[in-house]
Amino acid sequence: MIPLSRLHRCLQGVTPSQIVTCDRAGIPNTTYLSQVHYVDERHVALSCQFFNKTRRNVEENPYACVNLLDALTCDTYQLDLKYVRSETSGALFDSMATRIEAIASQTGMKGVFRLLSADVYEVLDARKIDEMLVEPERDDSPPPSVLDPIARPRGELRGLHHLSQRVSRAVDLDTLLSSLLEGLQEAYGFEHSMLLLPDETGKRLFAVASRGYGESGVGAEVEMGDGILGTVARERRIVRIGDVHTDLRYGRAIRRSARDSGLTPSPEIPLPGLPDAQSQLALPLVAADRLVGVLALESRKPAGFDDWHEAFLGVVASQVAMAIDRMLERGEEPAHPSRASAQPASERVRAFTYYRNDDCMFVDGEYLIRNVPGKILWKILRAHVHEQRVDFSNRELRMDASLGMPELKDNLESRLILLRRRLEERCPDVRLVRAGRGLFRLEVDARVSLVEKDSP
Amino acid sequence: MVAALLTEELVDFVESGVSILVGTRNAELRPHGMRAMGATASPDRRRLTIFLPAATSTRTLANLEDNGAIAVTFSRPSDHQSIQLKGRFLGSRPATLEDRFAQERYRAAWFEQLHVCGVARSTSKRWAYWPSVAIEIEIDALFQQTPGPGAGDALGAAR
Repeated sequence: MIPLSRLHRCLQGVTPSQIVTCDRAGIPNTTYLSQVHYVDERHVALSCQFFNKTRRNVEENPYACVNLLDALTCDTYQLDLKYVRSETSGALFDSMATRIEAIASQTGMKGVFRLLSADVYEVLDARKIDEMLVEPERDDSPPPSVLDPIARPRGELRGLHHLSQRVSRAVDLDTLLSSLLEGLQEAYGFEHSMLLLPDETGKRLFAVASRGYGESGVGAEVEMGDGILGTVARERRIVRIGDVHTDLRYGRAIRRSARDSGLTPSPEIPLPGLPDAQSQLALPLVAADRLVGVLALESRKPAGFDDWHEAFLGVVASQVAMAIDRMLERGEEPAHPSRASAQPASERVRAFTYYRNDDCMFVDGEYLIRNVPGKILWKILRAHVHEQRVDFSNRELRMDASLGMPELKDNLESRLILLRRRLEERCPDVRLVRAGRGLFRLEVDARVSLVEKDSP
Repeated sequence: MVAALLTEELVDFVESGVSILVGTRNAELRPHGMRAMGATASPDRRRLTIFLPAATSTRTLANLEDNGAIAVTFSRPSDHQSIQLKGRFLGSRPATLEDRFAQERYRAAWFEQLHVCGVARSTSKRWAYWPSVAIEIEIDALFQQTPGPGAGDALGAAR
C-alpha cells in the first residue's frame, strides 16, 4: 500500500474521481465524485451532497473502489475502501462543508448544493495503476519542485521568515497591506493577491488592496456568506480550490439540474479576479476571535496551492490579523489640527456629485465611492471649499456622529486607505496625504465643484 | 429492471469524447472500477461494445466471467453531463483493426475534452489503450447521472 500523503495532488479535486459500489443484489454502480478528502493515513472522507445510490449501496455493502487521477502526470491511483460512518458535524464536516458552500454560493446554488454528510471510509489498499500509462518521454516528467514540495522545506521556511519580517516592520496599515502582498510574491511567487476588510456594518467586505490585476478592484464589495470570499469570511475557515473551473462546472451542472427540477437558485455572482484563474486560496484573518479581513490568492496553475501553502500562509494570516487589529486601535491624536488656506494650483475643474440618499459619490459623472468613505470625502471637500481647510484629523472624523463610525474599535484607518486609493485611481488631482499619526492633508490640484443631489 | 435502449442522441453522447468508467464486482460483492478507452453502439441501440486496454483489464474480465454484472458511466468533463447504464456481459474478444480506428477517433475527442480542463495533450496521450479487449454488453437500464437532484432518473427509450 502506498502512503496516502503521496496522493495530495489527487485529493484537491482537480479532476473528478471515479467511484464504484455494489448493492446487496450484486448490481454495481458507477459515478463521479467532486471531492475525496484526506483524513489520515488510513482514512478518506467522501462528500455526500445528495442521498444517492452510492450512499444506499455502502449502507448495504460497505465496500467501494475509487480511482484518483493526477491531472499533472495522468497517473491513476486505485483505493479499496470500506465505509465506516457518516459525520454530520465536527471539524471534518465543517471543513468539507465550507468548501462546498463556497462553490455553491459562487455558482448561485446556496441552499441547493450543500454537504449532507462527510462519509468516512477506511482505506484497505492504495495502489498506483502503472499499466495505465505507456513509458513517459523524458521531457514529460514534471519538475521535481512540483513533484514533492514538502521534501524541500528550507526554502519555504526562509520565505516565511522573509514575509514575517516584512509584515512586522510595517508601521501603518497602508504599508502593512502593500508589504504583505509584495512579500507574498517575493517569498512564494504568488503574483495575484487581494486583501479585503469588513466595513462598518460587518455585513460586507471591501477590497482595500490588490496586486497583479489590471484593474485594482479596490472598493469592490462582497456580502458576508456570498461566494468563496464571503463564505471564508463568514465561516472563518480557509478554502482552497484546486481547479476553479472543475468545481464551478460541477456547481453549474447541479444548477442546471436543479433548475430543471423547478428549484430557482439566486443569480450567479461574478468571480472577482483573474478571468482564467485555475486555483484559489482564501484565508480568514482572525484576531481575538474577530474577523479582521480576508486574504485571497489566485493562480493560473491548476493545483497552484498545496497543503504546505495552507499551513505556512495560515501562520502569516495570524500575524497579519494581529497587526491589523493593533493598527486599528486608536492612538494619541492631536485635538486641533492646524489650518492653512487652500491654493488651487490649476484651473482644471473636478465636479463632485454627492447622492445623499445612498451616500454615493461621483466625480465628473463617474462612480467614485460610497457609504462611509463617501461621507468622509463629502465632509472634507465641503470644509475645503467653504472654509478653505486642508488639514484634518482622524479624531474629528470619529467625533462626527453623522459619519456613523462604530464606537470602540473602528475601521476609520482602513476606510481612509480605501478612499485614498480610489482617489489615486479615479481623481489624482485630489489627494489625501498622511501628515503624522492621526492627521492627513488634503492636496488639490484643481478647482473643486460640489453638487448635492437626491439619488438618480 | 426496465429494459431500455439508447436514443440517437445518447448514441452520439456515448461515442463522443466522454470519460468512461466501467464498474464490475467479484463473487464476494467487492466492487472494481476501470477506465475504458472508447465505446460503440450496435445499430439496434440495444448493445454496446466497450474497449478496455488489455494491460489493465484482468480484474474486470474475471469479474464479468464470474457474474456478468456491469455498470458504465459516461461523463463529459467540460460540463459534467453524465449517464449511467446497467447491463449484462455478453462476451469478449480481442479488438480488431477496425475497433482500433474507433478508439483513435475516441482518443482524439477525449484528449480535446481533457485539454479544455487543463490536462496537457502530451500527458493524456500516454494513456495505454492498445492492445485492447472488446467487451459486448446488453443494456438493461439507463439513468441520468449529471450531479444534482435529478441524478438517478431513468433515461432512454422503452423497448
